Amino acid sequence: MIVFWFLIKEGFRGLWRSNYAGAFSIIIITLSLILIGFGYVAARDTLVMVENIRSQFDITVFIQRETPPVELENFTKELGNFREIEKIVYVSSDSAAAQFRAEFGEDIFDILDYNPLPPSFTLSLKPPARNLASVEEVVTRIRQFPIVDEVKYRKTFLELLEKYQRLIFIAVVTVFIILTMISIILASNSIKMTIFSRRNVITTMKLVGATNNFVRAPFLIEGTLEGLGSALLAAVIIGLTFYFLNNYLHSFTGYRAIVSYRFYGGLVVLGSLMGLVGSTRAIRRFLE
Amino acid sequence: MITFFNVSCTFGKEAGVKNINLSINEGEFVFLTGSSGAGKSTLLRLIYMDLFPEKGKVVIRNFDSSKVRSSEIPFLRRKVGMIFQDFRLLEDRNVYENVALSLYVSHYKTREIRQRVYNVLNQVGLGHRVYYNPRELSGGEQQRVAIARALVKEPVVLLADEPTGNLDPRVSSDLMSLLTRINQNGTAVIVATHNYSLIPRVSNARLIQVNEGEIVNPT
Repeated sequence: MIVFWFLIKEGFRGLWRSNYAGAFSIIIITLSLILIGFGYVAARDTLVMVENIRSQFDITVFIQRETPPVELENFTKELGNFREIEKIVYVSSDSAAAQFRAEFGEDIFDILDYNPLPPSFTLSLKPPARNLASVEEVVTRIRQFPIVDEVKYRKTFLELLEKYQRLIFIAVVTVFIILTMISIILASNSIKMTIFSRRNVITTMKLVGATNNFVRAPFLIEGTLEGLGSALLAAVIIGLTFYFLNNYLHSFTGYRAIVSYRFYGGLVVLGSLMGLVGSTRAIRRFLE
Repeated sequence: MITFFNVSCTFGKEAGVKNINLSINEGEFVFLTGSSGAGKSTLLRLIYMDLFPEKGKVVIRNFDSSKVRSSEIPFLRRKVGMIFQDFRLLEDRNVYENVALSLYVSHYKTREIRQRVYNVLNQVGLGHRVYYNPRELSGGEQQRVAIARALVKEPVVLLADEPTGNLDPRVSSDLMSLLTRINQNGTAVIVATHNYSLIPRVSNARLIQVNEGEIVNPT
Protein backbone atom coordinates (compact mmCIF):
# COMPACT_ATOMS: atom_id res chain seq x y z
CA MET A 1 0.00 0.00 0.00
CA ILE A 2 2.89 2.34 0.92
CA VAL A 3 4.55 1.53 -2.38
CA PHE A 4 1.26 2.17 -4.20
CA TRP A 5 0.97 5.68 -2.73
CA PHE A 6 4.66 6.29 -3.29
CA LEU A 7 4.26 5.46 -6.98
CA ILE A 8 1.12 7.62 -7.30
CA LYS A 9 2.96 10.49 -5.59
CA GLU A 10 5.97 9.96 -7.85
CA GLY A 11 3.69 10.07 -10.88
CA PHE A 12 2.19 13.42 -9.84
CA ARG A 13 5.56 14.83 -8.84
CA GLY A 14 6.96 13.72 -12.17
CA LEU A 15 4.70 16.29 -13.80
CA TRP A 16 6.58 19.08 -12.00
CA ARG A 17 9.95 17.39 -12.23
CA SER A 18 9.76 16.97 -15.97
CA ASN A 19 9.81 20.77 -16.28
CA TYR A 20 10.00 22.13 -19.85
CA ALA A 21 9.93 18.69 -21.44
CA GLY A 22 6.64 17.93 -19.66
CA ALA A 23 5.17 21.31 -20.59
CA PHE A 24 6.24 20.79 -24.20
CA SER A 25 4.64 17.37 -24.15
CA ILE A 26 1.35 18.78 -22.83
CA ILE A 27 1.36 21.48 -25.53
CA ILE A 28 1.97 18.91 -28.29
CA ILE A 29 -0.73 16.52 -27.01
CA THR A 30 -3.17 19.42 -26.60
CA LEU A 31 -2.53 20.58 -30.19
CA SER A 32 -2.88 17.00 -31.43
CA LEU A 33 -6.20 16.57 -29.65
CA ILE A 34 -7.46 19.91 -30.93
CA LEU A 35 -6.55 18.76 -34.44
CA ILE A 36 -8.31 15.43 -33.92
CA GLY A 37 -11.34 17.13 -32.32
CA PHE A 38 -11.81 19.68 -35.10
CA GLY A 39 -10.99 17.03 -37.70
CA TYR A 40 -13.67 14.75 -36.28
CA VAL A 41 -16.35 17.45 -36.22
CA ALA A 42 -15.44 18.61 -39.75
CA ALA A 43 -15.51 15.03 -41.08
CA ARG A 44 -18.77 14.25 -39.32
CA ASP A 45 -20.50 17.44 -40.49
CA THR A 46 -19.29 17.02 -44.07
CA LEU A 47 -20.80 13.53 -44.18
CA VAL A 48 -24.01 14.77 -42.48
CA MET A 49 -24.25 17.60 -45.00
CA VAL A 50 -23.96 15.20 -47.92
CA GLU A 51 -26.59 12.95 -46.35
CA ASN A 52 -28.85 16.00 -45.82
CA ILE A 53 -28.58 16.83 -49.50
CA ARG A 54 -29.57 13.27 -50.29
CA SER A 55 -32.51 13.39 -47.86
CA GLN A 56 -33.93 16.37 -49.76
CA PHE A 57 -34.39 14.16 -52.79
CA ASP A 58 -38.01 13.38 -53.64
CA ILE A 59 -40.18 11.92 -56.41
CA THR A 60 -43.17 13.79 -57.81
CA VAL A 61 -45.99 11.65 -59.21
CA PHE A 62 -48.47 13.57 -61.37
CA ILE A 63 -51.96 12.10 -61.51
CA GLN A 64 -54.34 12.38 -64.40
CA ARG A 65 -56.84 15.15 -63.95
CA GLU A 66 -60.42 14.17 -63.17
CA THR A 67 -59.28 10.99 -61.37
CA PRO A 68 -62.13 9.91 -59.11
CA PRO A 69 -61.47 10.29 -55.37
CA VAL A 70 -61.94 6.56 -54.79
CA GLU A 71 -59.10 5.76 -57.18
CA LEU A 72 -56.93 8.40 -55.56
CA GLU A 73 -57.62 6.80 -52.21
CA ASN A 74 -56.77 3.34 -53.53
CA PHE A 75 -53.56 4.66 -55.09
CA THR A 76 -52.59 6.28 -51.78
CA LYS A 77 -53.10 2.93 -50.08
CA GLU A 78 -50.99 1.22 -52.73
CA LEU A 79 -48.18 3.75 -52.19
CA GLY A 80 -48.40 3.03 -48.48
CA ASN A 81 -47.46 -0.58 -49.25
CA PHE A 82 -44.13 0.47 -50.81
CA ARG A 83 -41.44 -0.43 -48.25
CA GLU A 84 -39.08 2.15 -49.76
CA ILE A 85 -41.42 5.11 -49.20
CA GLU A 86 -41.02 7.11 -45.99
CA LYS A 87 -43.50 9.96 -46.50
CA ILE A 88 -46.40 10.62 -48.89
CA VAL A 89 -47.72 14.15 -49.41
CA TYR A 90 -50.78 14.63 -51.62
CA VAL A 91 -50.99 17.94 -53.46
CA SER A 92 -54.44 18.53 -55.00
CA SER A 93 -54.96 20.78 -58.03
CA ASP A 94 -56.30 23.50 -55.74
CA SER A 95 -53.29 23.22 -53.41
CA ALA A 96 -50.99 23.37 -56.44
CA ALA A 97 -52.79 26.55 -57.58
CA ALA A 98 -52.41 28.03 -54.10
CA GLN A 99 -48.71 27.13 -54.14
CA PHE A 100 -48.38 28.81 -57.55
CA ARG A 101 -49.99 31.96 -56.14
CA ALA A 102 -47.68 31.92 -53.13
CA GLU A 103 -44.59 31.43 -55.26
CA PHE A 104 -45.33 33.71 -58.23
CA GLY A 105 -47.78 36.20 -56.73
CA GLU A 106 -50.35 35.69 -59.49
CA ASP A 107 -53.52 33.68 -59.60
CA ILE A 108 -53.43 30.92 -62.22
CA PHE A 109 -57.10 31.58 -63.06
CA ASP A 110 -56.29 35.19 -64.02
CA ILE A 111 -53.84 33.88 -66.61
CA LEU A 112 -55.54 30.83 -68.06
CA ASP A 113 -59.17 30.91 -66.90
CA TYR A 114 -58.75 27.32 -65.74
CA ASN A 115 -56.41 25.36 -63.44
CA PRO A 116 -53.95 23.36 -65.58
CA LEU A 117 -52.05 22.02 -62.58
CA PRO A 118 -52.64 18.31 -62.06
CA PRO A 119 -52.92 16.72 -58.65
CA SER A 120 -49.71 15.08 -57.53
CA PHE A 121 -47.99 13.07 -54.83
CA THR A 122 -44.60 14.05 -53.42
CA LEU A 123 -42.79 10.97 -52.15
CA SER A 124 -39.81 10.90 -49.81
CA LEU A 125 -37.85 7.69 -49.63
CA LYS A 126 -36.36 5.97 -46.63
CA PRO A 127 -32.55 6.53 -46.30
CA PRO A 128 -31.52 3.06 -47.61
CA ALA A 129 -33.68 3.58 -50.71
CA ARG A 130 -32.20 6.97 -51.59
CA ASN A 131 -30.07 5.54 -54.36
CA LEU A 132 -30.40 5.46 -58.09
CA ALA A 133 -31.19 1.74 -58.38
CA SER A 134 -33.98 1.80 -55.77
CA VAL A 135 -35.43 5.05 -57.10
CA GLU A 136 -35.59 3.68 -60.66
CA GLU A 137 -37.28 0.52 -59.45
CA VAL A 138 -39.88 2.50 -57.44
CA VAL A 139 -40.51 4.81 -60.39
CA THR A 140 -41.01 1.86 -62.77
CA ARG A 141 -43.53 0.30 -60.43
CA ILE A 142 -45.42 3.58 -59.95
CA ARG A 143 -45.61 4.19 -63.69
CA GLN A 144 -47.60 0.99 -64.08
CA PHE A 145 -50.63 2.52 -62.31
CA PRO A 146 -53.13 3.74 -64.95
CA ILE A 147 -53.97 6.92 -63.03
CA VAL A 148 -50.34 8.04 -63.11
CA ASP A 149 -49.69 10.65 -65.76
CA GLU A 150 -46.02 11.38 -65.22
CA VAL A 151 -43.25 10.68 -62.69
CA LYS A 152 -40.47 13.20 -62.20
CA TYR A 153 -37.28 13.04 -60.17
CA ARG A 154 -33.84 14.63 -60.36
CA LYS A 155 -31.95 11.78 -61.97
CA THR A 156 -28.80 13.75 -62.79
CA PHE A 157 -28.65 15.09 -59.23
CA LEU A 158 -28.81 11.56 -57.88
CA GLU A 159 -26.21 10.32 -60.35
CA LEU A 160 -23.79 13.10 -59.36
CA LEU A 161 -24.41 12.54 -55.67
CA GLU A 162 -23.81 8.82 -56.05
CA LYS A 163 -20.61 9.43 -57.96
CA TYR A 164 -19.12 11.93 -55.49
CA GLN A 165 -20.51 10.86 -52.12
CA ARG A 166 -18.29 7.79 -51.98
CA LEU A 167 -15.32 9.89 -53.03
CA ILE A 168 -16.10 12.51 -50.39
CA PHE A 169 -16.53 9.79 -47.75
CA ILE A 170 -13.20 8.16 -48.61
CA ALA A 171 -11.42 11.55 -48.73
CA VAL A 172 -12.86 12.73 -45.41
CA VAL A 173 -12.18 9.44 -43.60
CA THR A 174 -8.65 9.19 -45.05
CA VAL A 175 -7.77 12.76 -44.04
CA PHE A 176 -9.17 12.14 -40.56
CA ILE A 177 -7.22 8.89 -40.12
CA ILE A 178 -3.96 10.46 -41.35
CA LEU A 179 -4.52 13.45 -39.07
CA THR A 180 -5.16 11.18 -36.10
CA MET A 181 -2.10 9.04 -36.81
CA ILE A 182 0.17 12.07 -37.18
CA SER A 183 -1.20 13.46 -33.92
CA ILE A 184 -0.67 10.20 -32.07
CA ILE A 185 2.90 9.85 -33.38
CA LEU A 186 3.67 13.47 -32.42
CA ALA A 187 2.22 13.01 -28.96
CA SER A 188 4.01 9.71 -28.48
CA ASN A 189 7.36 11.22 -29.51
CA SER A 190 6.95 14.18 -27.21
CA ILE A 191 6.30 11.81 -24.29
CA LYS A 192 9.36 9.85 -25.34
CA MET A 193 11.38 13.07 -25.15
CA THR A 194 10.03 13.78 -21.66
CA ILE A 195 11.07 10.35 -20.46
CA PHE A 196 14.41 10.59 -22.26
CA SER A 197 15.12 13.84 -20.43
CA ARG A 198 14.72 11.93 -17.14
CA ARG A 199 16.51 8.74 -18.08
CA ASN A 200 18.91 9.26 -15.16
CA VAL A 201 15.96 8.61 -12.82
CA ILE A 202 15.36 5.28 -14.55
CA THR A 203 19.06 4.33 -14.41
CA THR A 204 19.30 5.24 -10.71
CA MET A 205 16.10 3.39 -9.82
CA LYS A 206 17.41 0.27 -11.55
CA LEU A 207 20.77 0.59 -9.81
CA VAL A 208 19.19 0.70 -6.35
CA GLY A 209 17.18 -2.42 -7.07
CA ALA A 210 13.85 -1.29 -8.48
CA THR A 211 11.94 -3.87 -10.49
CA ASN A 212 10.83 -2.93 -14.00
CA ASN A 213 7.23 -2.48 -12.82
CA PHE A 214 8.36 -0.17 -10.03
CA VAL A 215 10.33 1.95 -12.52
CA ARG A 216 7.50 1.90 -15.06
CA ALA A 217 4.55 2.80 -12.83
CA PRO A 218 5.30 6.48 -12.05
CA PHE A 219 6.05 7.18 -15.71
CA LEU A 220 2.78 5.60 -16.82
CA ILE A 221 0.88 7.63 -14.22
CA GLU A 222 2.73 10.76 -15.31
CA GLY A 223 2.05 10.06 -19.01
CA THR A 224 -1.64 9.43 -18.34
CA LEU A 225 -1.90 12.62 -16.29
CA GLU A 226 -0.20 14.57 -19.08
CA GLY A 227 -2.69 13.12 -21.57
CA LEU A 228 -5.62 13.84 -19.26
CA GLY A 229 -4.51 17.41 -18.61
CA SER A 230 -3.95 17.99 -22.33
CA ALA A 231 -7.39 16.57 -23.12
CA LEU A 232 -9.07 18.90 -20.61
CA LEU A 233 -7.16 21.83 -22.07
CA ALA A 234 -8.10 20.78 -25.62
CA ALA A 235 -11.76 20.34 -24.58
CA VAL A 236 -11.85 23.87 -23.15
CA ILE A 237 -10.25 25.36 -26.29
CA ILE A 238 -12.55 23.44 -28.65
CA GLY A 239 -15.60 24.29 -26.51
CA LEU A 240 -14.75 27.99 -26.48
CA THR A 241 -14.08 27.98 -30.23
CA PHE A 242 -17.44 26.37 -30.97
CA TYR A 243 -19.17 28.75 -28.54
CA PHE A 244 -17.63 31.71 -30.38
CA LEU A 245 -18.42 30.18 -33.78
CA ASN A 246 -22.05 29.42 -32.89
CA ASN A 247 -22.82 32.69 -31.13
CA TYR A 248 -20.86 35.30 -33.03
CA LEU A 249 -20.05 33.90 -36.46
CA HIS A 250 -23.20 31.89 -37.15
CA SER A 251 -24.81 34.76 -39.06
CA PHE A 252 -21.77 34.93 -41.40
CA THR A 253 -21.07 31.24 -41.83
CA GLY A 254 -24.54 29.78 -41.46
CA TYR A 255 -22.81 26.88 -39.76
CA ARG A 256 -23.51 25.68 -36.27
CA ALA A 257 -21.21 23.10 -34.73
CA ILE A 258 -23.09 20.87 -32.34
CA VAL A 259 -21.07 18.63 -30.09
CA SER A 260 -22.31 16.55 -27.19
CA TYR A 261 -20.77 15.79 -23.83
CA ARG A 262 -19.90 12.39 -25.26
CA PHE A 263 -17.56 14.13 -27.72
CA TYR A 264 -15.72 15.82 -24.83
CA GLY A 265 -15.76 12.56 -22.88
CA GLY A 266 -14.24 10.79 -25.88
CA LEU A 267 -11.57 13.47 -26.12
CA VAL A 268 -10.63 12.98 -22.45
CA VAL A 269 -10.48 9.20 -22.87
CA LEU A 270 -8.43 9.54 -26.07
CA GLY A 271 -6.01 12.01 -24.44
CA SER A 272 -5.49 9.79 -21.41
CA LEU A 273 -4.97 6.75 -23.64
CA MET A 274 -2.48 8.67 -25.78
CA GLY A 275 -0.54 9.53 -22.62
CA LEU A 276 -0.69 5.98 -21.29
CA VAL A 277 0.22 4.25 -24.57
CA GLY A 278 2.90 6.86 -25.39
CA SER A 279 4.59 6.46 -22.03
CA THR A 280 4.30 2.65 -22.15
CA ARG A 281 6.05 2.62 -25.53
CA ALA A 282 8.68 5.14 -24.45
CA ILE A 283 9.61 3.51 -21.15
CA ARG A 284 9.92 0.07 -22.78
CA ARG A 285 13.06 1.24 -24.56
CA PHE A 286 14.76 2.15 -21.29
CA LEU A 287 13.86 -1.07 -19.54
CA GLU A 288 15.15 -3.48 -22.15
CA MET B 1 30.71 -14.27 -1.18
CA ILE B 2 31.76 -13.07 -4.67
CA THR B 3 33.46 -15.49 -7.01
CA PHE B 4 34.60 -15.05 -10.60
CA PHE B 5 35.04 -18.36 -12.43
CA ASN B 6 37.27 -17.92 -15.48
CA VAL B 7 35.32 -14.84 -16.57
CA SER B 8 35.83 -13.11 -19.90
CA CYS B 9 33.78 -10.14 -20.96
CA THR B 10 34.47 -7.71 -23.79
CA PHE B 11 32.18 -5.08 -25.13
CA GLY B 12 32.40 -2.42 -27.82
CA LYS B 13 35.85 -1.06 -28.38
CA GLU B 14 36.80 -1.41 -24.72
CA ALA B 15 39.05 -4.22 -23.72
CA GLY B 16 36.86 -5.64 -20.94
CA VAL B 17 38.33 -8.50 -18.89
CA LYS B 18 39.87 -11.89 -19.74
CA ASN B 19 40.01 -15.17 -17.85
CA ILE B 20 39.37 -13.68 -14.42
CA ASN B 21 39.42 -16.02 -11.44
CA LEU B 22 38.80 -14.16 -8.22
CA SER B 23 37.17 -14.67 -4.86
CA ILE B 24 36.18 -11.95 -2.40
CA ASN B 25 35.07 -12.83 1.11
CA GLU B 26 32.49 -11.26 3.40
CA GLY B 27 33.80 -8.20 5.26
CA GLU B 28 36.89 -7.76 3.07
CA PHE B 29 38.26 -4.40 1.95
CA VAL B 30 39.55 -4.68 -1.62
CA PHE B 31 41.27 -2.19 -3.86
CA LEU B 32 41.01 -2.81 -7.59
CA THR B 33 43.77 -0.74 -9.12
CA GLY B 34 44.99 -0.13 -12.62
CA SER B 35 45.11 2.53 -15.25
CA SER B 36 42.00 3.87 -16.98
CA GLY B 37 40.49 1.24 -19.28
CA ALA B 38 42.27 -1.61 -17.47
CA GLY B 39 38.96 -3.33 -16.72
CA LYS B 40 38.26 -2.25 -13.10
CA SER B 41 34.80 -0.86 -13.85
CA THR B 42 33.99 -3.94 -15.93
CA LEU B 43 34.67 -6.12 -12.89
CA LEU B 44 32.32 -3.98 -10.78
CA ARG B 45 29.63 -4.03 -13.47
CA LEU B 46 29.89 -7.80 -13.60
CA ILE B 47 29.27 -7.90 -9.84
CA TYR B 48 26.07 -5.86 -9.98
CA MET B 49 25.14 -7.65 -13.20
CA ASP B 50 25.04 -4.64 -15.43
CA LEU B 51 27.22 -6.83 -17.69
CA PHE B 52 27.28 -10.57 -18.17
CA PRO B 53 30.29 -12.73 -18.93
CA GLU B 54 30.76 -14.11 -22.42
CA LYS B 55 32.71 -16.95 -20.84
CA GLY B 56 32.67 -18.23 -17.28
CA LYS B 57 30.37 -17.01 -14.53
CA VAL B 58 30.16 -14.68 -11.57
CA VAL B 59 28.47 -15.85 -8.39
CA ILE B 60 27.38 -13.36 -5.73
CA ARG B 61 25.96 -15.26 -2.78
CA ASN B 62 23.14 -17.26 -4.38
CA PHE B 63 22.96 -15.20 -7.58
CA ASP B 64 24.69 -16.99 -10.44
CA SER B 65 25.23 -14.92 -13.61
CA SER B 66 24.83 -18.01 -15.79
CA LYS B 67 21.40 -18.83 -14.35
CA VAL B 68 19.97 -15.56 -13.08
CA ARG B 69 16.75 -14.27 -14.66
CA SER B 70 16.45 -10.57 -15.46
CA SER B 71 13.56 -10.31 -12.97
CA GLU B 72 15.92 -11.45 -10.18
CA ILE B 73 18.59 -8.80 -10.80
CA PRO B 74 16.78 -6.07 -8.77
CA PHE B 75 16.94 -8.41 -5.75
CA LEU B 76 20.71 -8.78 -6.19
CA ARG B 77 21.10 -5.01 -6.43
CA ARG B 78 19.28 -4.57 -3.14
CA LYS B 79 22.19 -6.50 -1.56
CA VAL B 80 24.88 -4.55 -3.40
CA GLY B 81 25.54 -0.87 -2.72
CA MET B 82 27.13 1.22 -5.45
CA ILE B 83 28.81 4.59 -5.55
CA PHE B 84 30.22 6.33 -8.59
CA GLN B 85 32.64 9.10 -9.48
CA ASP B 86 29.74 11.24 -10.75
CA PHE B 87 27.60 10.40 -7.64
CA ARG B 88 24.47 9.74 -9.77
CA LEU B 89 22.18 11.61 -7.42
CA LEU B 90 18.76 12.73 -8.62
CA GLU B 91 18.67 16.50 -8.69
CA ASP B 92 14.89 16.59 -8.89
CA ARG B 93 14.59 15.54 -5.23
CA ASN B 94 16.24 16.33 -1.92
CA VAL B 95 18.82 14.35 0.06
CA TYR B 96 16.19 12.52 2.11
CA GLU B 97 14.27 11.43 -1.00
CA ASN B 98 17.46 10.32 -2.78
CA VAL B 99 18.40 8.06 0.11
CA ALA B 100 14.84 6.85 0.81
CA LEU B 101 14.42 5.74 -2.82
CA SER B 102 16.59 2.68 -2.12
CA LEU B 103 14.17 1.59 0.58
CA TYR B 104 10.95 2.39 -1.27
CA VAL B 105 12.01 0.07 -4.09
CA SER B 106 12.43 -2.66 -1.47
CA HIS B 107 8.92 -2.02 -0.10
CA TYR B 108 9.91 -0.86 3.39
CA LYS B 109 7.36 0.77 5.67
CA THR B 110 7.36 4.58 5.92
CA ARG B 111 8.30 4.66 9.60
CA GLU B 112 11.23 2.33 9.07
CA ILE B 113 12.33 4.27 6.00
CA ARG B 114 12.36 7.50 8.00
CA GLN B 115 14.29 5.94 10.85
CA ARG B 116 16.87 4.31 8.62
CA VAL B 117 17.40 7.39 6.42
CA TYR B 118 17.98 9.71 9.39
CA ASN B 119 20.32 7.14 10.97
CA VAL B 120 22.41 6.66 7.88
CA LEU B 121 22.59 10.39 7.13
CA ASN B 122 23.85 10.98 10.67
CA GLN B 123 26.31 8.15 10.19
CA VAL B 124 27.81 9.85 7.10
CA GLY B 125 27.70 13.26 8.82
CA LEU B 126 24.86 14.77 6.81
CA GLY B 127 22.16 14.93 9.50
CA HIS B 128 22.00 18.69 8.96
CA ARG B 129 21.55 18.49 5.19
CA VAL B 130 18.47 16.25 5.05
CA TYR B 131 16.25 18.57 3.02
CA TYR B 132 18.93 20.09 0.83
CA ASN B 133 18.96 19.57 -2.89
CA PRO B 134 22.10 17.73 -4.11
CA ARG B 135 23.01 20.82 -6.18
CA GLU B 136 23.34 22.81 -2.95
CA LEU B 137 25.98 20.43 -1.59
CA SER B 138 29.74 20.25 -2.10
CA GLY B 139 31.28 17.36 -4.06
CA GLY B 140 32.30 15.58 -0.85
CA GLU B 141 28.83 15.95 0.61
CA GLN B 142 27.24 14.63 -2.59
CA GLN B 143 29.47 11.57 -2.48
CA ARG B 144 28.44 11.01 1.14
CA VAL B 145 24.77 11.16 0.10
CA ALA B 146 25.57 8.51 -2.51
CA ILE B 147 27.22 6.41 0.19
CA ALA B 148 24.21 6.89 2.44
CA ARG B 149 21.93 5.75 -0.39
CA ALA B 150 24.05 2.65 -0.87
CA LEU B 151 24.35 1.90 2.87
CA VAL B 152 20.76 2.46 3.88
CA LYS B 153 19.70 -0.89 2.45
CA GLU B 154 22.43 -2.62 4.52
CA PRO B 155 24.25 -4.19 1.59
CA VAL B 156 26.62 -7.13 1.92
CA VAL B 157 29.09 -5.35 -0.30
CA LEU B 158 29.71 -1.73 -1.21
CA LEU B 159 31.17 -1.12 -4.69
CA ALA B 160 32.91 2.20 -5.27
CA ASP B 161 33.95 3.12 -8.80
CA GLU B 162 36.59 5.89 -8.66
CA PRO B 163 34.80 7.40 -5.64
CA THR B 164 37.37 10.16 -5.17
CA GLY B 165 37.72 11.05 -8.84
CA ASN B 166 35.90 14.36 -8.41
CA LEU B 167 37.07 15.18 -4.89
CA ASP B 168 40.03 17.13 -3.52
CA PRO B 169 42.69 15.28 -1.43
CA ARG B 170 41.32 16.33 1.98
CA VAL B 171 37.77 15.26 1.14
CA SER B 172 39.12 12.06 -0.44
CA SER B 173 40.89 11.27 2.81
CA ASP B 174 37.66 11.82 4.81
CA LEU B 175 35.81 9.60 2.38
CA MET B 176 38.33 6.78 2.79
CA SER B 177 37.97 7.05 6.57
CA LEU B 178 34.23 6.70 6.15
CA LEU B 179 34.59 3.65 3.88
CA THR B 180 36.98 2.09 6.43
CA ARG B 181 34.43 2.64 9.19
CA ILE B 182 31.72 1.06 7.08
CA ASN B 183 33.99 -1.93 6.45
CA GLN B 184 34.73 -2.25 10.15
CA ASN B 185 30.98 -2.59 10.70
CA GLY B 186 31.06 -5.76 8.58
CA THR B 187 30.27 -4.60 5.04
CA ALA B 188 32.66 -5.72 2.35
CA VAL B 189 34.03 -2.77 0.36
CA ILE B 190 35.49 -2.92 -3.14
CA VAL B 191 37.07 0.29 -4.38
CA ALA B 192 38.11 0.61 -8.01
CA THR B 193 40.66 3.40 -8.34
CA HIS B 194 43.72 4.53 -10.19
CA ASN B 195 44.61 6.80 -7.28
CA TYR B 196 47.32 4.76 -5.56
CA SER B 197 47.69 7.28 -2.74
CA LEU B 198 44.42 5.99 -1.25
CA ILE B 199 45.77 2.48 -0.62
CA PRO B 200 48.00 3.16 2.41
CA ARG B 201 45.04 4.80 4.18
CA VAL B 202 43.38 1.43 4.69
CA SER B 203 45.27 -1.10 6.73
CA ASN B 204 44.62 -4.78 5.92
CA ALA B 205 43.18 -3.90 2.52
CA ARG B 206 43.65 -6.42 -0.25
CA LEU B 207 45.13 -5.07 -3.42
CA ILE B 208 44.17 -6.46 -6.80
CA GLN B 209 45.96 -4.97 -9.78
CA VAL B 210 44.25 -5.11 -13.12
CA ASN B 211 46.06 -4.55 -16.39
CA GLU B 212 44.58 -4.86 -19.88
CA GLY B 213 41.69 -6.89 -18.54
CA GLU B 214 43.76 -9.36 -16.55
CA ILE B 215 44.62 -9.61 -12.89
CA VAL B 216 48.35 -9.04 -12.48
CA ASN B 217 48.74 -10.32 -8.91
CA PRO B 218 46.31 -13.21 -8.51
CA THR B 219 45.76 -14.17 -4.87
